[in-house]
Amino acid sequence: MKYADIDADETDRLLLQRMAAGDRAALATLYRAYHGRLCRFLSRLTRRNDVIEEVINDCFWIVWQKAGSFHGDSRVSTWIIGITYRCGLKALRQRGDEPVDEEGLPEDRTPAFDPGEDRELRDWLGKAMERLSADQRVVVELVYGVGHTLDDVATIMQCPVGTVKARLFHARVKLRNILPALAGEPITPKENRVP
Amino acid sequence: MKSTKDTDQDCARAWEAMPWVLQDSAPQEQSAWLTDHLARCEACREEFAQQSRLRLALALPTGIQLDPEAGLKRLLGRIDAGEAEASAPRARAGGWVTRALVAAVLVQAVGIGILGAELWSSGGNHASYRTLSNPAQPAMAGAIRVVPDTNMKLADWNTLLHSLQLAVVDGPNDVGAYTVMPARTSTGDAALRQLRAAHGIRLAEPVAANP
Repeated sequence: MKYADIDADETDRLLLQRMAAGDRAALATLYRAYHGRLCRFLSRLTRRNDVIEEVINDCFWIVWQKAGSFHGDSRVSTWIIGITYRCGLKALRQRGDEPVDEEGLPEDRTPAFDPGEDRELRDWLGKAMERLSADQRVVVELVYGVGHTLDDVATIMQCPVGTVKARLFHARVKLRNILPALAGEPITPKENRVP
Repeated sequence: MKSTKDTDQDCARAWEAMPWVLQDSAPQEQSAWLTDHLARCEACREEFAQQSRLRLALALPTGIQLDPEAGLKRLLGRIDAGEAEASAPRARAGGWVTRALVAAVLVQAVGIGILGAELWSSGGNHASYRTLSNPAQPAMAGAIRVVPDTNMKLADWNTLLHSLQLAVVDGPNDVGAYTVMPARTSTGDAALRQLRAAHGIRLAEPVAANP
């Protein structure tokens, strides 16, 4: 764990302790600190803003209630993202799993400042991610986007590390076969080879 | 020169290492080894470039425009509602207990009131009674203490009392004396005389008001 992560985790733990004592200011601080990264994480599961906000609030409702029972077996961020993941899956089950479709995004999901290169990269990512299952998208986001370790991802998804490895492997194989074609490159037999 | 098998093993090792080198969590020696491998393996270099592009793409802003303050406000409102809901049953339970206690006290008060009124209205009509701790019963005007003979039959005793309109109000005491009262005070003296004259009566004396 990096020093910055250790400091951040220490801060999060203090906030949780204050929340356990009923400190709403601590809740507000933690909420604001995590809102952006939870939005990003949940955007890999659903394209609906209302669902994303509802899931974030479901998550923090649980965090508020369970703050006193956090034993510190993992980092606070791992714990919170794990809760978010389960709340997200529950919301998707209740509404029916909707695959992320970047082409179908409403205008307000397109950043106001979106240089051509970024737009191209975003389109490329969107088309690639929609070929993955929800669990594979989550693993890719957690490893490449957030920077979690295999152990962290296993804790978040409440599954063995071997399962996380398998999901990451299959996601990478799919992306390896899709991404060059999306980038306009010809697929060669060598690119289809999996180590 | 490395064999093909060695190269495949190295590529597999490079494949495993790429995510952790990209997120800067791999050990220094693993990063250095991968850098060295990528310099010699074009396929892994291309794969690493794709992985880097994927990481770059995932770091782009998502374009989600959600106001954290609005969400926080809704969350706090939800917490308020939850706490109010949690405290409501306690308040309701407290109110129920209080109301039940008040009702019980009212019922008791009404009951005591009714009983008191009943006693008040019928106070003198109740037959007086005496407990062992009470002092001796005061002498009643017109009472006669009678000692019947030990051989007198109960039927004769009852017949005599009935004929003289006397009623036993006390006794027998330690010496076998009964206290009798005439039905009418005016007949007391006559009853006393007749008792003294009756067969089987050993003693008949008026009870002194102040012994």
